[in-house]
Amino acid sequence: LTWEVKANSRHYHKHKQRKSFLCFTWGRYSDNVVRSHKYSLLTFLPLTLFEQFQRAANIYFLLMVVLQCVPAISSIPWYITIIPLLVVLSVRGFKDLAGDLARRRCDSEINSRPCDVLFSQFMTAQWKDLCVGDVLRIRRDQIMPADLLLLSSSEPHSLCYVETADIDETNLKYRQALGATHNELTSHPSEEALGAFNVVLCEEPNNRLYTFRGQLQWQGECFLLENEHILLRGTVLRNTDFAYGLTIYTIVLSVLLAAVLLAIGAGVSSYQAMTKTSFLSALVIDGKPAYNGFLVYWSYIILLSPAMPIALYIRFELIHTIHSKFIGWDLEMYWQQTDKPAEARNTSLSEELGQVGYLLSDKTGTLTQNRLLLRQCCIAGEVYPMDLSWNPFSSGGLRMFSPTLVETLRGQRCPVTTQFLSALALCHTVMAEWKEQAASPDEETLVGAARELGWVFLSRTRDFVVVSELGATRQYQLLALLDFTSKRRRMSVLRDPQGGLKLYCKGADVVILERLQKNCPHKESNEIALELFAEACLRTLCVAVRSVPEALWEQWSRTLALSAAMATCERDTLLEKLYDEMERDLLLLGVTAIEDRLQEGVPETIALLQEAGIRVWVLTGDKKTAVNIGYSCKLLHPESRLLEWQELREILQSADPQVSFFKAKQTELWATHKEMARAKTSVVLTGPELQAEFEERPEWGASFMSLAEQCQSVLCCRVTPAQKAEIVELVRKHTASITMSIGDGANDVNMIKAHIGVGLAGREGGQAVHNADFAVSQFRFLQRLLLVHGRWSYRRISLFLCYFLFKTCGFALVHIWFGILNGFSAQDVSAESSLKLPELYKSGQKKELSSPRKLITYLLYAVYMSLVLFFIPCGVFYNTDYDYQTMAVTVSMAATFAVTIETKYWTKFNIAALCVSVVMFFICSRITHSTRLFQSSPADYFFLVSEKAFIDPMVWLTALLTAWAAVLPSVTSHAFSVILSVHNKHKIHNSSPPPVELRSRFARGSSLRRSSYAISQGAGPGRLINSTTSIQRAEVLKEEKVST
Amino acid sequence: MASSYKDEDGHITVSGSGAAAGAGGGSLRSKKPENTAFKQQRLPAWQPILTAGTVLPAFFIIGLMFIPIGIGLYVTSNNIKEFEIDYTGVEMSSPCFTCAQNFSWNGTKPCTCSVPFHLDQPYESNVFMYYGLSNFYQNHRRYVKSRDDSQLNGNEESLRKPSKECEPYAKHGNKPIAPCGAIANSMFNDSLELIYNDPNGTKVQIPLTATGIAWWTDKHVKFRNPGAENTNLTVVFQGTTQPVNWRRPVFQLDSDPDNNGFINEDFIVWMRTAALPTFRKLYRIIQRRSNVHPTLPRGNYTLEVVYNYPVRSFEGRKRMILSTISWMGGKNPFLGIAYISVGSVCFLLGVVLLIIHHKYGNRNNAAEISH
Repeated sequence: LTWEVKANSRHYHKHKQRKSFLCFTWGRYSDNVVRSHKYSLLTFLPLTLFEQFQRAANIYFLLMVVLQCVPAISSIPWYITIIPLLVVLSVRGFKDLAGDLARRRCDSEINSRPCDVLFSQFMTAQWKDLCVGDVLRIRRDQIMPADLLLLSSSEPHSLCYVETADIDETNLKYRQALGATHNELTSHPSEEALGAFNVVLCEEPNNRLYTFRGQLQWQGECFLLENEHILLRGTVLRNTDFAYGLTIYTIVLSVLLAAVLLAIGAGVSSYQAMTKTSFLSALVIDGKPAYNGFLVYWSYIILLSPAMPIALYIRFELIHTIHSKFIGWDLEMYWQQTDKPAEARNTSLSEELGQVGYLLSDKTGTLTQNRLLLRQCCIAGEVYPMDLSWNPFSSGGLRMFSPTLVETLRGQRCPVTTQFLSALALCHTVMAEWKEQAASPDEETLVGAARELGWVFLSRTRDFVVVSELGATRQYQLLALLDFTSKRRRMSVLRDPQGGLKLYCKGADVVILERLQKNCPHKESNEIALELFAEACLRTLCVAVRSVPEALWEQWSRTLALSAAMATCERDTLLEKLYDEMERDLLLLGVTAIEDRLQEGVPETIALLQEAGIRVWVLTGDKKTAVNIGYSCKLLHPESRLLEWQELREILQSADPQVSFFKAKQTELWATHKEMARAKTSVVLTGPELQAEFEERPEWGASFMSLAEQCQSVLCCRVTPAQKAEIVELVRKHTASITMSIGDGANDVNMIKAHIGVGLAGREGGQAVHNADFAVSQFRFLQRLLLVHGRWSYRRISLFLCYFLFKTCGFALVHIWFGILNGFSAQDVSAESSLKLPELYKSGQKKELSSPRKLITYLLYAVYMSLVLFFIPCGVFYNTDYDYQTMAVTVSMAATFAVTIETKYWTKFNIAALCVSVVMFFICSRITHSTRLFQSSPADYFFLVSEKAFIDPMVWLTALLTAWAAVLPSVTSHAFSVILSVHNKHKIHNSSPPPVELRSRFARGSSLRRSSYAISQGAGPGRLINSTTSIQRAEVLKEEKVST
Repeated sequence: MASSYKDEDGHITVSGSGAAAGAGGGSLRSKKPENTAFKQQRLPAWQPILTAGTVLPAFFIIGLMFIPIGIGLYVTSNNIKEFEIDYTGVEMSSPCFTCAQNFSWNGTKPCTCSVPFHLDQPYESNVFMYYGLSNFYQNHRRYVKSRDDSQLNGNEESLRKPSKECEPYAKHGNKPIAPCGAIANSMFNDSLELIYNDPNGTKVQIPLTATGIAWWTDKHVKFRNPGAENTNLTVVFQGTTQPVNWRRPVFQLDSDPDNNGFINEDFIVWMRTAALPTFRKLYRIIQRRSNVHPTLPRGNYTLEVVYNYPVRSFEGRKRMILSTISWMGGKNPFLGIAYISVGSVCFLLGVVLLIIHHKYGNRNNAAEISH
């Protein structure tokens, strides 16, 4: 605890203020200015050049330029090479500059946000002027400008709610001030009191979001500080009028900066991706054999530099840019409602879209809409459908309802129904003011549903819950709140309507069903309903009630008060036991079925992607309830066997994981043969398990991956953002495939940055999109992005590369043939080139640009073509008086014709381009061979040959023959394929996929899928809401005093 | 940012076709991409050789076009009369053997030899006289560059300061070499004379035309003597020296002022470097004198060689070629044969494809149409 913060004492921190000059910084406490920009006026040029020359390609081109400057070996004037290099450098530089300026603007926008700072009284200041130790007042819906220690808030108990959209899943979290500060500030609400807190000692700034250690020294006493007391920068204050906070960390290593660091990391990795595409250049540099004829060698490097010309680089960029534009232009990926087209933010990855092997997806907000709907409920054994799917604009509230149910309700005919709704309206931890969001979305949905039906939850105080039941306002006394925990999977409320004590309980079906009273009515029908709902992949909750005798309550509450006051460790188990005692003999009221609504087209998309051989993994922060989603979105096949961690662990521990994995599959009753078993095994893991094991035994990674590869899908639950990124890394490390991650929230940012990232421009903040390589608005657009655009650009680029290899090989080989015939003026060249070819081939393999066979075919074809292009003119000109310039013109003419014939796809643009290029060939030849140019610079334009060559019939005849002979193999193979019509292209690959049946047939009744009450937070805030004496005491217990 | 979406919450849900009006309304410019064929990548692609109906005729047509062209070329080439004689003097029996053996660059007295030969048939039209060299890598990369085109174009500055490309033939002593460079230095300098041994015993020297053998562009554009037109070349070239291997300076190549200096046609022809190591270069033209007599009648001839050019060092060969020419230039059977063979291959492929098409194609074609 070395970080010392003194409240409201700027002078104390000021002299330790961090200052920096160039790259040196000193001092501890930094200011609160966000600086995510990289360049300043001075550093731009060196930095950008440094960055750009980290690319092998640029270095290579620079080398070329340098070599060209040496007159002894240069073949063309130096400026011919330097111009494209300059163009490349400046374009990229401008791109960087524009990005940096945008970041600057963004920064200054953030930096100038206002906030209230206490200088003897509250004044408005800008974010950037904040300093450690400042006391701030944050108003409702304001964003925290720095990491704050919550001192007090307007709410009772100094509770306040923060939305953490930028840090993890969008959820409201509650924070609570220390009791001491709360008491002090509420009793003497004055500015002096706020500034009076002495010293906060805490750990140095770090990037652990969920833990915090520190202590507050105040009035001679020392209070422990926890994460609960901290308001992190970037979170938003909700449902709280105002909160006072003490700035403890400013920007330095607060969370956002970590994100910036990550962004830089992403830049590095994308740069790595970039360098991969320019593998050819590295090859030319690396592939140099030992040489003896130094000059000759280098001059051949120059001469053969067309094998990796800067043109390739430029064209790559161009193609990538155009592909990204196409992605943005695609109407089918345009989302009308938010007016957002798809966006390719990183232009250099478009061909990798066509090679994705693993898709790692976030769940909430990505697969699902993060909008829960009460779809059905079963009350007193009767199922009421609340199917709202006809209404695409249903916002979660119920607009239409089963008329019979309304009738029953209005007539107050059925006490069970009334009670059911009362339970919904009462048994929850929703705060009345939380209009937008509750801590648990499930509860919010249920309360909302009750509201629609007339049971309106109005307000809550510590002891009372006010509910309007069909217009009649009633006040219920809240005696105790048996809070929800993940273990209990249920919660109950004790209350006092008019005299009678009732316990309303709702929870997972397994838990509730075993606590029912004997001969509970409707049990059978409810179980059937549960089965039904589970089939439909709905989250189910059981609602039950119990009438509690007064005497029992008296006794129980006494015990509760006693045990609540006990020491912590035993208290919890004791409480649980007590709760358990109370929650029995329940009367089942009904079952609710909530749909975690999938985004449109998700099951189809996943099915299609799986069909396309892409393995889909879902990583979610939620509990195992995510399995349900897995079923409904076709990720998990209903008949597939779920392999949980325990099993997997055994398999991994066994001597031969493969064999035991196979065995595990064999034990399946329905796995009749092995292919089927393979296709229908899925792994379900949770983050903590995964992390614990892989930290212990990193060597399991490989075998785990090899098993995972055989599974249909993998579902990882309860993974933290960091773990998501780790999983992506795991996949990348152990497979050669390209992984793509898709997510929508800030919690997916790590994952998205790990490799190709797709950001869903959805409801959560723009973080994901900002860090993604591609941004789409809907999950289903992935179909098109991957299967159409990815495939196209992969095909185009591989074709382009093959073609380019082919062309340049042809070109280089012609040189080599010529080299043979010009007296081996460079003898090591043929050796070099033969060295070069297998390397080309290998890198092609590594890159998986296209199948090796295809690449070899292309290379062979290139060799053939170069042979033809050279040796036919050679034969014609052998022992004649044609000079070498005429021959050069002939060969280039032949090559131009050959390339023209070679074109396989003819669109009107293509034809125009071809015509232009052929015409340009002649025009340019005539221009460069013109006497005028020669006279102005005889040394450069000495090729005065076309005038004579273009009217020589021999030249034409030779060129035509050569061109035709050169393309004959390709034309023939094309003709063969046309005649045998083996064109896969005829398959219309982008037609709409065959509609996949949305709901799978449910084959087995397993309790695994039935119960899924998800509250995505840990323990609910019920403890805080419920303010009976026992709880207050518990609060006091929490704030244990620590003597210093 | 988090609050911004809330107002629209109710609207962002599922939409069927995306046709619903956006929240933005008409006032804002929508980011909706344009629905053009190019942007949606729906350009009609047209593959010209898509069906068997177009592929097969193409093969036949090209095959049938190439074969006659080839035959035509071959016949034309065969009609060209060509006579070639090697006078290198490698064998002991060769008349030039002594000259070849005793060669020295600075020998004062030129060695001459006479090579007799016999023409079996008369040469009717203009006859072109070539010298041919073998194993002479005039296309060597550094050799090809070893020249200064500005100097050859009459640039005074380059005359005094030859380009670096010419090294090591840029300067001799302190004087710049004109013309500089390895190409010029190695200029072919045998002189050839043709003598017809008339059956009646007299020896008739065949008149050889030394002009009109270079390209017009070369003679009039690319190569120019330095200085103004009328100046005495001796003066112009003062201060320069002849190439090391030359026996006389560049301004003494010919007596005709229009064929002297850099615009000497023998020189120009030499400077147009050959593409391949075996090449021929036009040496002289034997003009047809009368319509009655053939240019070169049948009979015995003697080739008088002033043997200056050493080729033994690189195992080269020197030849003298007499040839008539046609529209396609000299004798060149290769192109005709190449055309015939490529044409036949094409035709054969067409036949093979036709057979395949008839055997297997039909069923698949039906499938293709259904798409």
